[in-house]
Amino acid sequence: MSSQHGQDAKFFQRGKIEEFRAELQAAESKDKKYQKRKTVLKKIVANITMGNDMSPLFHDVIQCIGTPLLEIKKMVYLYLVSYGRSKPDQIHMVIPSFLQDCNDRNPLIRALAIRTMAYIPIPVVTEALSDQLRHCLKDRDPYVRKTAAICVAKLYVADPRKAEKAGFVEMLRDMLLDSNATVVANAVAALSEIGDRQDGVIFRLNLTVANKLIASLGESSEWGQIYILDSLLRFVPEEHSEAEMMGERIIVQLQHANSAVVLTAIKVLLYLMNYMENRRLIEYICKKMGPPLVALLSSGPEVQYVTLRNILLIIQRRPAVLKNDVKVFFCKYNDPIYVKLAKLEIMYRLAREENAQEVLAELEEYASEVDIDFVRKSVRSIGRLAIKVEAAADNCIQSLLTLIETKVTYVVQEAVIVIKDIFRRYPGKYEGIIPTLCENLDVLDEPESKAAMIWILGQFANRIDNADELLDDLVYSFLDEPTEVQLALLTATVKLFIYKSTSDATKALVHKVLKWATENVDNPDLRDRGFMYWRMLAVNPTLAQELVLAQKPAITTDSDRMDRGALDQLLLHTGTLGSIYHKNPETFIRNAAGRALVDTPALNPSSRAVILPLSRPHLPPTTVTVQGPGPIEPTYVPPAEPSKLVASATSEASGQDLLDVDNAIARPGSYDGEIDVDGEDEVPVKTGDPYANLDGAFGGYLADKPQPMSSSRGGNTNFDDLLL
Amino acid sequence: MAIDGLIILDANGRPIIQSGYTSFPPAYPLLHIDALNNELAKAPSSGIIDPIIYVASGGGGDMPDGSACCHIQVREMRMLASISGDLDPLVAFAFLQAFHDILQDYFGTVSTVTLKGNFDTVYQLIEEILDSSGHPLTTSPSILRDIVIPPSLLSTLLASLPASAPSVGRSGGPTSLNNTGGAFASPIPWRKVGVRHNSNEILFDVTEEMRAIVGRNGATLASNVIGTIECNSRLSGMPDLLASFSNPNVMAECAFHPCVRLQRWKREQTLSFIPPDGKFVLGEYQYAPPQKVVVNNLPIPVALKPNIIIGELGGSFTVTFTSRMMKAMENVKIEWYLGEDATGAQCTLSGAGSGVGSTGGAEGSWTFDSRKKILRWEIPSMHSSGSRVLRGSWTSKAQVPRPAHAFQIRFELPSYSFSSLKIDHVRLSSETYKMYKGVRMQSCGSIEWRW
Repeated sequence: MSSQHGQDAKFFQRGKIEEFRAELQAAESKDKKYQKRKTVLKKIVANITMGNDMSPLFHDVIQCIGTPLLEIKKMVYLYLVSYGRSKPDQIHMVIPSFLQDCNDRNPLIRALAIRTMAYIPIPVVTEALSDQLRHCLKDRDPYVRKTAAICVAKLYVADPRKAEKAGFVEMLRDMLLDSNATVVANAVAALSEIGDRQDGVIFRLNLTVANKLIASLGESSEWGQIYILDSLLRFVPEEHSEAEMMGERIIVQLQHANSAVVLTAIKVLLYLMNYMENRRLIEYICKKMGPPLVALLSSGPEVQYVTLRNILLIIQRRPAVLKNDVKVFFCKYNDPIYVKLAKLEIMYRLAREENAQEVLAELEEYASEVDIDFVRKSVRSIGRLAIKVEAAADNCIQSLLTLIETKVTYVVQEAVIVIKDIFRRYPGKYEGIIPTLCENLDVLDEPESKAAMIWILGQFANRIDNADELLDDLVYSFLDEPTEVQLALLTATVKLFIYKSTSDATKALVHKVLKWATENVDNPDLRDRGFMYWRMLAVNPTLAQELVLAQKPAITTDSDRMDRGALDQLLLHTGTLGSIYHKNPETFIRNAAGRALVDTPALNPSSRAVILPLSRPHLPPTTVTVQGPGPIEPTYVPPAEPSKLVASATSEASGQDLLDVDNAIARPGSYDGEIDVDGEDEVPVKTGDPYANLDGAFGGYLADKPQPMSSSRGGNTNFDDLLL
Repeated sequence: MAIDGLIILDANGRPIIQSGYTSFPPAYPLLHIDALNNELAKAPSSGIIDPIIYVASGGGGDMPDGSACCHIQVREMRMLASISGDLDPLVAFAFLQAFHDILQDYFGTVSTVTLKGNFDTVYQLIEEILDSSGHPLTTSPSILRDIVIPPSLLSTLLASLPASAPSVGRSGGPTSLNNTGGAFASPIPWRKVGVRHNSNEILFDVTEEMRAIVGRNGATLASNVIGTIECNSRLSGMPDLLASFSNPNVMAECAFHPCVRLQRWKREQTLSFIPPDGKFVLGEYQYAPPQKVVVNNLPIPVALKPNIIIGELGGSFTVTFTSRMMKAMENVKIEWYLGEDATGAQCTLSGAGSGVGSTGGAEGSWTFDSRKKILRWEIPSMHSSGSRVLRGSWTSKAQVPRPAHAFQIRFELPSYSFSSLKIDHVRLSSETYKMYKGVRMQSCGSIEWRW
């Protein structure tokens, strides 16, 4: 065994093309049991995987295709997968072998042949494949059928309209009723892939087919179940009862061992709940969804992370889920940092008056940990907890003061930042602790905490006896400070002056700062603000007082909850990249098909009220001929097709169409500016940087800074309203 | 919905194995490798980085412009799956896990050496389990073995025979071109037809793990027990099994292998299934104690009494560990992270003079891992309720040392079950032979004890 390893490892050494060619030619004669050929081919494949170009051997390698040894055949096919597409002028030589293998007695070889052909998008191959595929889709062996189903999706990529015309899409649809569950699952996968293309056929399920698919779940492999469950999002309930019945049947899938199956089932349930009316059923489903999510948290850290990010989304839309399970999210010392941060966020979300004490005790525990990043975010969470749960505010403040006593620099800085927000949330309640903060002024060396402290000094200058001295000290290094601190200093000195306008010292101080801001600084924001204050103070000091010390709107953390309509849409992507980054995928993945709730009579009113249109450019429903770059087939006669397809599709269905053909031939990228697809949409179809709106999506922990309270539509604090 | 490709990187971050990526430009996998290596380079010494890395590319051509790299660590290697479009990252992780399990099944150990030595087999496997448009295909090892032969002496022999020779040894062996390999003729995807064993047996291995956090006042903050039922099935034909439990109510939040008929479980609380051949995980559950009150507050079978004094440049401690079990406890491991600046520790062990229980067996041992800065205390076995004490001190470079405020305790309880779950009987229908069945119970614990 070990000697064989050593031998094989040698294949990884660089070989020479000529050497291999000579060896292959030598192997043509006197090759007992094809052993020589096998060895050379192994070397060649090893070289391909190392990234060495083996394409010059094309002619020599394809000579081996007829060798009656499966291992050799597989290696030749592996070679063809790598280089077939780069040899359009020689590929025709292989086609007879392909055709022969397509009709081999061994189903493995039949499948291998069509699979390999599907990887080579060269017209002559595709042409040959189309003929063979028709038989293979009806092959008696399920292995061949399931392979053929996937090949249809490949063929579709190469030429959508041709694949449609050849009737492959309908054949796939018929395969949804195949007796073999794996074949069904692959047909679903292929149809989904086609349906996800912006230029593809729209793949929609009707009730009959959806129910059949659900029935086949029991016999499918885990991957098949994922495809089938995911495809159920393509079923649009027309009546409440449809959604409710289907939901009841899917609940049982939550008991699956595969984490991806569970999360996909949850996604489908969340979707169907938008179309349900029965409040008790909805409550029941919410109750049933919690435990499987918790169970996923006993898996490895990677699965935990994905689950936690999804839980974060789910509990914003359905707060009933996991409402009483905050303990599950307590961080363990050995959790990886990314898991800890995700848990922290959820703990904050689940905090209510009833459990605030428990949560606070945990947060205090974390604040004494070793990882700096985690400690800071824990301290920050204590402050956010104070802002969110009024009843816990006293204890939170007490806890923050204890933390400040530790004198650990980053803890103190973080505490000062959140205390500033607490002051704004509860005006007139906690200002008594300001002297304690002032004692720690020297520790602050980060812009954010320094600016926060300066804000406190300025805002409450009338209550701090030595505010002028403290500010005077801070102003000393004004010109070396970052802009954030400079702006804070400028405003704070102006506030100080308004409070104590009689003092000569403050007058001198504000004059100094205004002069610096307007004359010695290059930053236009700072300069403009300096001029503004200066003029205001000079022209009308009373008005300046009203403006500068105006009552500030109290802040809240409730408005940080995501907009309800956007949430609904994101939840259709539960368990996908979008849910990890909390962005709709079409905003950061070009060509990703967006998902949106479809309005039907069954959609419950509250979901309808916030429904958001799909932000992907809607392709016009009727045919539009775009004179763009890109070839347009002259024989193409679009209008006849949709009706034909729909008609044939309805044959077995109850009046609803299984397949709709969206005939727009316009493809993204081929617009030449003549049609305004959706003028108001901000989706970066053509903008240079598709990630421009990604800002803090990756690891962006504080996506929900406390913000001014507003009558926002998302800021709905009544949990009951979210039930429907 | 697709996995773009798979890459396995060696300890130095260089690719050893890489799947097709046929629909993508060659730069695409390279981008992912670079993204992962960059993150690893930036990571702190612990090497912990986000399991999903966003990979931005300039777009253009066939390059997906928003993709992500999902990765797991396997020994010294990293396995990564590239995903783009709107795929569930859990699919990628579940798939990587399945891929790893297959490699383990084929090669015993998964290491750089075994993978390099068997690269041709690995490639054939990748071809079978992941199609080029990224759909996971078959990941069931027993079926794969029919399509891709595992490297063994037998297969080396077989391969050297000409294809026309009748295949020896393995029925349905793929070496023969004339065989209509029945791999996928089976109506269920997890079991092939025509399995034959000389002796028919099925073994159930139930492992329960208690996970808990105990606060500094000794109160349990969070706890639960998770059970896993592993099976090793060596049964011929298409055995339809029915397993019933004498106390199914202790199992809550169950998650099962696809072979289990879920509706039947919901209705009758019995497990009806046709098992895959070989080893597999039949199901997982959470222990639901009979009295609803103690949910999330199960009694912890151990106790720890730490007394820690932190001084300048170090500190001293006395830690008393007590077992509250009447049964023997094995492989007790207690770990304590002493902080990044810790330089060394010195300890003495004693058997605690409480008199209760015996001090028989080894006193245990302690070590200080100077690389990970972890103090480890191991007690191979503890009989009935007894205590052990660890006294000592540690030194640190920091003026104010910051050791972890939590101890990690692990222990094993052979032939014990927290839930006392009992498999009543296992009935076989649809086949006529007699089968042997065995059930083994064991438990373990993983407790975080704060101070």
